[in-house]
Amino acid sequence: MPVILVGCGAVSRQFYRPALSVLQHAGLFRVRALVDPSAESRATLAAAFPDAEQWDSLASRPGLDGALVVVASPPRFHAEQTIMALQAGAHVLCEKPIANQVDEAEAMVAAATAADRLLAVGLYKRFFPASQYLRQLVSSGQLGSLISFTISEGGPFRWPAASPSFFDRRPGGGGGVLLDIGVHVLDLVGWWFGEAKTIDYADDARGGVEANAFVSMTFPQGATGRIHLSRDWPTNQAYRFHFEGGDVEWTVNDANGLTVRLRNTPAKLKATLCTTNDAPTDPRHPVPQATNAQSFLAQLQNVHAAIAGREPLLVPGNDSVRVLRWIDQCYAHRQTVSEPWTELETTGGRRSRSPRRTAPLSA
Amino acid sequence: MKIAIIGASGFIGNRLVERIQLAGLDQPVPIVRRASSMALPARFDLECRLADALDVDALARALSGCDAVVHAALGDPRQIEAMPAALTAAVAQAGIKRVVYLSSASVHGQAPDRGTDESTPLHTNHALEYNNAKVRAERAFLAGCASRGLEGFALRPGVVYGPRSRWIADLAEQFEDRTAWLLGDGDGICNCIYVDNLLIAAQLALEAPASAAGVYLVNDPGTHTWADFLHRAADELGVDPTTIHRLDRLPTFKIHWAQKARRAAEGAWMQRVLPLVPGRVKYVTKTFLDASRATPPPSSWKLPATPAPAPTQEMALLQQCRWRLPDARAVSELGYAPAFSFEEGMQRSFAWWKFLQQTAA
Repeated sequence: MPVILVGCGAVSRQFYRPALSVLQHAGLFRVRALVDPSAESRATLAAAFPDAEQWDSLASRPGLDGALVVVASPPRFHAEQTIMALQAGAHVLCEKPIANQVDEAEAMVAAATAADRLLAVGLYKRFFPASQYLRQLVSSGQLGSLISFTISEGGPFRWPAASPSFFDRRPGGGGGVLLDIGVHVLDLVGWWFGEAKTIDYADDARGGVEANAFVSMTFPQGATGRIHLSRDWPTNQAYRFHFEGGDVEWTVNDANGLTVRLRNTPAKLKATLCTTNDAPTDPRHPVPQATNAQSFLAQLQNVHAAIAGREPLLVPGNDSVRVLRWIDQCYAHRQTVSEPWTELETTGGRRSRSPRRTAPLSA
Repeated sequence: MKIAIIGASGFIGNRLVERIQLAGLDQPVPIVRRASSMALPARFDLECRLADALDVDALARALSGCDAVVHAALGDPRQIEAMPAALTAAVAQAGIKRVVYLSSASVHGQAPDRGTDESTPLHTNHALEYNNAKVRAERAFLAGCASRGLEGFALRPGVVYGPRSRWIADLAEQFEDRTAWLLGDGDGICNCIYVDNLLIAAQLALEAPASAAGVYLVNDPGTHTWADFLHRAADELGVDPTTIHRLDRLPTFKIHWAQKARRAAEGAWMQRVLPLVPGRVKYVTKTFLDASRATPPPSSWKLPATPAPAPTQEMALLQQCRWRLPDARAVSELGYAPAFSFEEGMQRSFAWWKFLQQTAA
C-alpha cells in the first residue's frame, strides 16, 4: 500500500521514519512520497526512503486514490491537508491533535464519510497493552467500580519544536500543554470511562499558552478524576486508579507495565504484561506484550488492516472530536490558577490562602 | 524600557520575565536557546526570541531594539566561561550600554574567609570547577565591559532559592526520603537570597547611574545558618525536624583518576588535539575509562535499606561557611533593600512546592 507522508518534522523523524522503515521492509507499506515545503526537512527523511518522491505540497498531486496519507504536519494544517487527501480518494492517518478546533475536526470526519474513506487519528497510546488492560478492567468490573483517579504527566519541555510558532495561541485561546499531551490523556480517559458529567479546568497562561493545566472531572457513575499536565516541572508521570477492589498504577509510556495492589493484600504487584496463548509455555520465559515502539507499529498495522476491511479502526476520527470538544470546554471556561508565590508585593510573611481552582463546567 | 533576558527559561530568568511583565512598567524580551525552551515564557503574550548565548551574531540580532540586558543563562563550566565574551560582544554590537550579569558568590568559594567582600582578590584554586569557572567568567565579563565601554553590573548572589529552584526541590525530596542532613549543629552560615530579592537588585542595577557599575554581593536580610534553612523548610513541609541527620564528620571527596582524565579531555587544549586522534583510539580509551569507574555489584547480604544522607562536596563546603557575605555596597550604591524576609521567601518557595504535591496526590 502506498504511503504519502505529509510533514517531515520532529514527529516524522522520531516516529514515522523508523516505523515506516520496518513496515516497508515487511512489505506492508511503500513510502511513495515525502511532502514538506522545506527541502531540508524532506532530505532528513529521504535518506531512509531513497525511492520516495519529494513534493513541496499535496495540492494537485495525482494518484492518491487508495493510498494512505499520513498527516504529520503542524496542527493548523491538519484540516486542509486531510480534507484534500480524502477528496482525492486517499485514506488518512492524521497525527494528534486531529485539528485545532472542533468545527475543523467535524469537517474532516464529514469529508471522510462523504468520500467513503477511513480517517484514523494518531493516538497510539490506545495500542499500549497497559491501556487495553485498564480498559478491560473498567468494563469487566473485575476490581469493582472505579472510585477515583489521578493523573500527573509531563515535565520540562524537551520536544524538538522546530520554531516558536509551536507556542502560538490557537484562535480562540489556549494551545499549550492541554492541547499537546492533554489530547493523549483525555483520549485515554474518554476511551476508558466514557463521557464526563462535569469538567473543571484551570491553567497558568497569562496571555499566552499554558505550561501547567489542571482538569477535574466527574463521571455519571460517581467516579472523580484529577489531572495535572505540565511542561514546566517534572511530574511523577503516574496514572493512579482507585477501584473498590484495589488500586492500579501505571507509569506514563510504560506500554506493557502495570502495578496492582489488590484490596486486603499485603503488597503491590509490579508486572510486565505478557502474551497468553493456549499452548503451555516455559514459565521462566514469558513473552512480554508490545513495547512502546511496537504499539506505534501496531497503530499503522491497524490502519492497514482496516483499509483492507479485516479490522475496525481502533482510533477513528469521531473519537477525537469528543476530546477536542472537552478541550474547547476547558479553554472556554478556564480559570487562572492561583499562584500566590508570583505576586510582586510582599505579604509580610502572612500565609496566602491555599491555591484553589473552582467553577464547575457543564460537560 | 525593553529589557532583554538571556536565559529566560531558567528559574531566575523566568522569574524576571514574570516580575517585569506583572509590574507592567517595562517590556521583557525573553531570549532562549531553542524553541523548546519557550514553554515558560510562552505563558505570556510576549515576543520570545531565539539565540544561542555563545553565538555573538545571533545574540546581537536577538538583542536588537532592547534598551538593557540581564544575563541569567546557565551552562556547564566551559559554557559559563565562554558566555561573557559572547555577551559583551553582542551587547556592544546591538548598541546597548547597560548589562547586568548574574555572577555568583561562589567566586569566593563555597566557604569564604572571614572579612570577604567585593574587594577581596579572586583566585581559581577552588576545589570545585564550577567556582573556578565563575571566577573566569566574571573576569571575562568585566574585561569585556571595560574594553567595549559598557556599563556592566555583576551581581554575586549565594544560594538563590525560590519557586522552581533546585535548592527547594532537592531539600523537599531529601525530607521525603529522610536523608536531609546538617553538619554538626548546622551553625554554618547560609548565604542565601530569595529569587525576588536578587531580581530587585538586578532591577536596581538596570536603573543605577553608570558610575555605579561594578560587582555587588547580595543577600537576604539578616544572618541565617544552615540549621535555620533546614528547620524552616521542615516547618513549611510539616516534617519533624528531628528526622534531620546530624553528621559529625564528612566523607572525603576524592576525584577518581578517570574523572580527572575526562576533565582534562574537556580542556581547550585537548579539544584542539582530540580531532587528530584516531577514532578507534578514542573509543578504546573511553571504554577503558568507563570500565575503570564501574562499581562492583553490591552484596545481596544486607538488611533492607535504611535512608542515609549522601553529602555532596558542594553542600559539605557550603555548610562549613563561617562568614555572612556583606551586601553593604549594594545597599549604599544601588539602594538595595530586599523586600522579602527570609521567612517569607521560604514560605513562598514551599507554597509552590506544596502546590505541586497537592496536584499530584
